Amino acid sequence: MEYEAVIGLEVHCELKTKSKMFSAAPVSFGEPYNTQTNAIDLGFTGTMPCLNKKGVEFAIRVCHALHMTIDEVLWFDRKNYYYSDLPKGFQITQDRRPIGRDGYIDIEVDGKTKRIEIERLHMEEDTAKQVHYSNFTLLDYNRAGIPLIEIVTRPTLRSGKEAAAYLEKLRSIFLYTEVSDAKLEEGSMRCDVNISLREKGTTAFGTKTEIKNLNSISNVQKALDFEFHRQAEILENGGKVMQETRRFNEATKETVLMRVKGDAVDYKYYTEPNILPIRLDHQWIEDIKNSLPEFADEREKRYIQTYALPEADAKQLVATKTLSDYYETALKTSQEYKLIANWLLVEVPAYLSKHGETFESMKMQPDQLAKMVTLVSQGTISGKQAKKVFEEMMNTGKDPDVIVEEKGMKQLSDPAAIKAMIEDVLMANPGLVDDYRNGKSRAVGFIVGQVMKASKGQANPALTNQLVVEVLKAKM
Amino acid sequence: MEAYTIEQLHQMFKEDPSRIKTYYMDLFDELTTQQQRTNALVRMTREEALAQLDKLSFDPDDPLSCIPMIVKDNFSTKGVATTASSRMLENYVPFYNATVIDRLYAHGAVMVGKSSMDELAMGGTNKSALTGPVRNPWNLNCIPGGSSGGSAALVASGAVPFALGSDTGDSIRKPAGFCGVVGFKPTWGRISRYGVIPYASSLDHVGAFTRSVADMAIVMEAMAGRDDHDMTSSNRPVPAYYQDLSGNIQGMRIAVIKNICDEVKNPDMLAAMQKALDVFRAKGAVVDEVEMDQQLLLAALPVYTIIANSEATSNHSCLDGIKYGLRVAGETADEVMINSRTAGFSDYIKRRFVLGNLALATENQERMFRKAQRVRRLIVEELNRIYENYDLIVTPVSGNTATPLEEATSNRLSNEYVILENNMVLGNFAGTPSLSLPLGFTDGMPFNIHLMGRIFEEQTVLNAGYALEAELGLKNQCAKGDQ
Repeated sequence: MEYEAVIGLEVHCELKTKSKMFSAAPVSFGEPYNTQTNAIDLGFTGTMPCLNKKGVEFAIRVCHALHMTIDEVLWFDRKNYYYSDLPKGFQITQDRRPIGRDGYIDIEVDGKTKRIEIERLHMEEDTAKQVHYSNFTLLDYNRAGIPLIEIVTRPTLRSGKEAAAYLEKLRSIFLYTEVSDAKLEEGSMRCDVNISLREKGTTAFGTKTEIKNLNSISNVQKALDFEFHRQAEILENGGKVMQETRRFNEATKETVLMRVKGDAVDYKYYTEPNILPIRLDHQWIEDIKNSLPEFADEREKRYIQTYALPEADAKQLVATKTLSDYYETALKTSQEYKLIANWLLVEVPAYLSKHGETFESMKMQPDQLAKMVTLVSQGTISGKQAKKVFEEMMNTGKDPDVIVEEKGMKQLSDPAAIKAMIEDVLMANPGLVDDYRNGKSRAVGFIVGQVMKASKGQANPALTNQLVVEVLKAKM
Repeated sequence: MEAYTIEQLHQMFKEDPSRIKTYYMDLFDELTTQQQRTNALVRMTREEALAQLDKLSFDPDDPLSCIPMIVKDNFSTKGVATTASSRMLENYVPFYNATVIDRLYAHGAVMVGKSSMDELAMGGTNKSALTGPVRNPWNLNCIPGGSSGGSAALVASGAVPFALGSDTGDSIRKPAGFCGVVGFKPTWGRISRYGVIPYASSLDHVGAFTRSVADMAIVMEAMAGRDDHDMTSSNRPVPAYYQDLSGNIQGMRIAVIKNICDEVKNPDMLAAMQKALDVFRAKGAVVDEVEMDQQLLLAALPVYTIIANSEATSNHSCLDGIKYGLRVAGETADEVMINSRTAGFSDYIKRRFVLGNLALATENQERMFRKAQRVRRLIVEELNRIYENYDLIVTPVSGNTATPLEEATSNRLSNEYVILENNMVLGNFAGTPSLSLPLGFTDGMPFNIHLMGRIFEEQTVLNAGYALEAELGLKNQCAKGDQ
C-alpha cells in the first residue's frame, strides 16, 4: 500500500526584545544563572504582568510576513498547569484570540512551489530553564518570561523535505524581520512536529505521533523520514499507530517513545484578568507593515533580474541575511554586481574557513570590498594583486587604497614608461625582432615576462602585451 | 491613650513635633494592650517603625507625615514577613514593596504592624487566620468579620488612625460594619494592586479603614493613581478628595434598594436607616426606593463563589514550594509541590481550590465559569440602569451585628443570607466606589450603612458619607476596653 504523510509543525521562536514579555527584566543570553530576573519572572505572589509593546510589534512583523489576518484587539489567557519550571503556575498566552490567523508561506521543493497554510500565530512567555545534574536539577530563571511567538501550520505538509523547506523559510523570515536570531541548536527557535499516515488518495486523518527534541532542521527531516517508515511498517503489518510523544535520538537517528498520550492535562484556559483587552491602533499596525524590510524572495528576484546574477549565486547570497545585507551595503559603493558576489561567495568563505573565523567577526568592511573591486576593474591593480589586497584587508581591516599605497602595488599603466622598458628588453636581446619576423610568436610572451620582471609585476599585463606587439610591428 | 484621627494627630504633630517620639512610645504600649485583647496583629513592626521615624523629618504640609498605620498581612512589605495568615507563607519575606506601601511611605506614613486576616483573604470571620481568631474590640466574644478583620479591629480599638485592607467580596466593608469604623474601597483600577497577594484579580480592591470620612479622603488621595506595574490601574488624574470634601449634597439623587433593605428585621437598624435617609432628604438630596431584579440578586452569591474561587485557584498556583514559602521535601519536583501545598493550605482553602478547578475545567467551564461571568455582566448592567438616574445607591451592610466567635454559620440558603448579607459584592462586580459608614448601635454593637457611587465618582460617595457622618455623632468612635 502506498502511504502519504500528514505533517503539522508547531514552531516556537524567542523574540530578541530588550526586556521580557511581561516584566522589565532584560533579555540577554549567556549571563550567569538567575541574574536577568525580577519578582515577576520568579512568580512572586502579588506581582502583575506588564505587556512589552516591542514584543507585540515583533509578533505583528512576523504576522505580516506570513500574510496573516491580525486581530486588532489583544486578548491574553492563562494556561494553568503545575510544573517546576513554570514560576506562576500558569503561562500567559493567547488561546482563543491569537494575534495572527490564516496565513501562508510558499516553499519550493524539487522545483515546485507549494503553499503552506498557517493556522495561527500567538504570543506567550517562556518558562525557566532546567539545568540537570546527575542527582538534582537547578532552575535558571533568566529564560523565564522571554517573549515567544508560536506558529502553528495546518496539516498541509507531506514530507520531511517539505517540513525542512518550510522551516528554512520561516527561519529566514525571523532573521529578515529581525525579531530573533532563530537558532535551533541554542533553542531560540524550537520545533515540535506531528505526523500521521494515511493511504494515498484518502482524506481521513490517521493517528498522529508528536516528536520533540529536534535541534536542527536536518534532524526534523530525518526524524520525519524515520517516523514515516516506522508508521508505514506498523500499518503494513496490520498494526495500529499509538498516539504518543516521541523523542528524536540524534545518535541513532531514530525516534524513541517518551510517553503515551494518556489523560491529557486540562489547561483550563481563561482570560488573564490582569490584562484587560487592548485595542491596537490600526495605523500602528500599518506602519509596522510598511517599515518591514525586503524579504529573501524579493531580494533573490532582484539579484537575478536586475543584477543578472546566476540563480544559484542569488539563492546563496539571500540564504544568510547577514551575507545579503553585506552585499547590499557593498553595492552602495560599487555596481560590480557579479564581481562582488564572486568575492563574497568564493574567496570570503575560503578565507574564513582557513582562518577559523566567522562572517560576523570579519574585519573587511563592505565598502572596502567594493573599493577593491573597483580598483581591479579600473585597472589600478591586477587580479593577482587584488588577492593580496584582499588577504591584507581580511587580516587588518585596512582600506584597499592604503594597502595599495603601502605595498607600492599600483599597476603601471603609463604606455610611455612601458614602451621604454620594452625597448630595454629589445636592446638586451637583439635577436627577438628577427624571431618575431620569422613567425615565432613566443617572442611576445618572453618580452612581456621580462617587462613584468623589470617592473616588479606592476606593469599592466594587458597593456604591456598590446604595446609589445605594437613595438615589434613597428620594427618590421 | 486617647484615640486620635489622622487630622488630630497631624494637628498635634504640627503644633509640637517633639511629641511624635513620645506618641509612638505610647502607641506601642497601646498596641501591645490591644493585641492582648483582640489578637489582631500578626506582628508588630516596632524596630522597623522606629528606624523609619529616625530618618523621617516631619512635613507640616502632608497630613500623613509620621502617621502610624496597620497593614493587612497580604500587602508585600520588603524585609518584613508577609504571611497572608497562611501556613504556606508563614516564613515568607518579600524583597519588594507593594506599590501602595511605597506611596504611603513616600507620604511619611509609618507601618507599626501587620494585621491578621482570613487565610489568603478567603473568608468573612477572621477565624481561619494562622495566628488564631481575632476578637471584636466592642465585644471580645465576637468576631470582627473578615477577611480584613485584624485591620478593622485595630482601628476600632483606637490604637491607630488607619489601616489597610483588601476587599474581594466585602472584606473591608463588612468588618468595618462589625467593628463600627469607616471602610472604603474605591473604583477597581483607582488604586494599584501590585504587590498585594491576590484573591480574585477581577474582584480584588485595595482600600482602608479609618474613624472618619475626612481621614479616608486623605488616605485615598495618597494611595490612588496610575501605577505602571499594574496595567489595570487607571490613568485618570486623582482628584483632591480631602480638599474637595463637602457635606453639600443638595440635589444628589439617591436610590435605596428596596428588596435588599426589606430583608432587614432588626428594628434599631430599620430606624437608623430611616434616620439616615431623612438626613439625606433634609440636606436636599432626592431619595427614592428602587427595586432590583430579584433573580439577579439571588444569583449574585453563586456567581461570586464561582468567579472568585476560579481566579483564586490560578492566582495561588505560584505557591508551590519551589521558589519561596513553605517547602516540604519529596522525591520529585511534583512531589515537592504536592507535599508543600498539602501541608501549606488549610482544608477550607483546598475546598475552594477544588471548586475553582471544577468551574474552570474545560468540560464545565462554559456552564459554570463563563456563565458566571455572563451573569456578572447582567448584574452590572442592572446596576448601571440605576446609575442612569441616581448618583448613589444605598443598602445596609448587614442585617446582623458581629456574631459570637463560637456561633454556627448562618443558613446559607436563606434569602436573608444570599441577598442581604452578600449584597456588597455588587460593588466588586461593578468595581464601583463603595463606603461602609457607622450608622448606629443595637445591643451595644455597632452597625454600618453602605453607600455606593458610579465608577470613579469617589468624591460623591465620600461627600455623602461626610454629610451623614456630621449628623450621626459617630465620628471617631472606638472601643478601647477598660483601661
